[in-house]
Amino acid sequence: MSGESFPLNLPLPRFATDSCEATDLYRELRKPLLRYLAGLGLSTEEAQDVVQDAFLSLHKHLAERGSPRGAAPETRPSKTGLDGAPNSQENIRSWLFRVAHNRALNYQTGYAKRMGEPLDPVFDAASSAASPEQAVLAQEKFRRLDQAVRALEPQERECLMLRAEGLRYREIGEVLGAPTSTVADTVERAIKKLAEKCNV
Amino acid sequence: MCNFSGRLVAWMDGELAGDEAVEVEQHVKACAECRACVEEYEEASQGFAAYYDTTTQTTRAAQPHRKLRRWVPVAAVAAAAAVIVLLASLPRTAKQAPPIPQVASSQPPMAVQPTIKPLAPIHRAHVAAHRKAPAANWAMADPAIQIAVPADSMFPPGAVPEGVNFVANLSLADGSVQAIRLQP
Repeated sequence: MSGESFPLNLPLPRFATDSCEATDLYRELRKPLLRYLAGLGLSTEEAQDVVQDAFLSLHKHLAERGSPRGAAPETRPSKTGLDGAPNSQENIRSWLFRVAHNRALNYQTGYAKRMGEPLDPVFDAASSAASPEQAVLAQEKFRRLDQAVRALEPQERECLMLRAEGLRYREIGEVLGAPTSTVADTVERAIKKLAEKCNV
Repeated sequence: MCNFSGRLVAWMDGELAGDEAVEVEQHVKACAECRACVEEYEEASQGFAAYYDTTTQTTRAAQPHRKLRRWVPVAAVAAAAAVIVLLASLPRTAKQAPPIPQVASSQPPMAVQPTIKPLAPIHRAHVAAHRKAPAANWAMADPAIQIAVPADSMFPPGAVPEGVNFVANLSLADGSVQAIRLQP
């Protein structure tokens, strides 16, 4: 048996041969991606389509590429240097969020609509408190928070959503195409705005 | 306003480098104003997390309902098809359990004879409340349809009683299970 038949020395990325890892990633990241897209105003069906597309893109990149430097996943260029396919486990998360985020830009009308309309079902959910007084308090708190969130700039909202998904500032920067320092400032500003309006 | 006030959220998020983090931490310990800010930011942060979770869950909740509605008639058709097959091959009782546990298990309400121990405690009140009437009726009434239910679909692994089968009596109108009885 010849040593050449073993692909050990080929320049394949280490996860390209590991389909189990891709499956784990899908299990782990599908829900957060769906949640983020729902937060951007996509319907369940739209969000599912986008997530499926994103994982298909990932699969394609992993299957096609011989080196970590491939074509940019989306037409919108990144300012942070994450200009190719993901090249590490950690980068895959921000890469997927970035692809999903960029695809979601095609559904801008949903985003505008969502932020322009009150979320009645959520008010119902808040009213399931133990006592009527608590329900009133919860509803009032939610109403203030809702207003405060709607008053945020889109990028501030996106930063907070990605932060709530557990992404680091660097990853958020990769998703939104912004420097990490800008993300830090944006998160700080957004949290301060919410604190001012809600913790009165 | 402190010099540190612009770095508090980043510090809370663990985004500051080692030295800077230590510096801010020491300051927060000493500065009551910054401590109050950190508490406020923490509250706002948790509030947003709950808001985000709730609002995105609302959107996602629509999906299962739609799916359920689609599957109800499918389940009924599947039940009817299974019944026809069963009636053709097993006119009265089934010696061998056919592999269709989902048809029987997805059909409430079910009534069980006293000798059968229900799987989950949550069903007990329900079973106790309803078991008398069907138990009295099933022996006399000639059920329109019977389906054999595999015993291992009703008991956890290792607890399947040997030598018994379950027969579900179904009504034709809605395909729901009227009774499940034990048959040696």
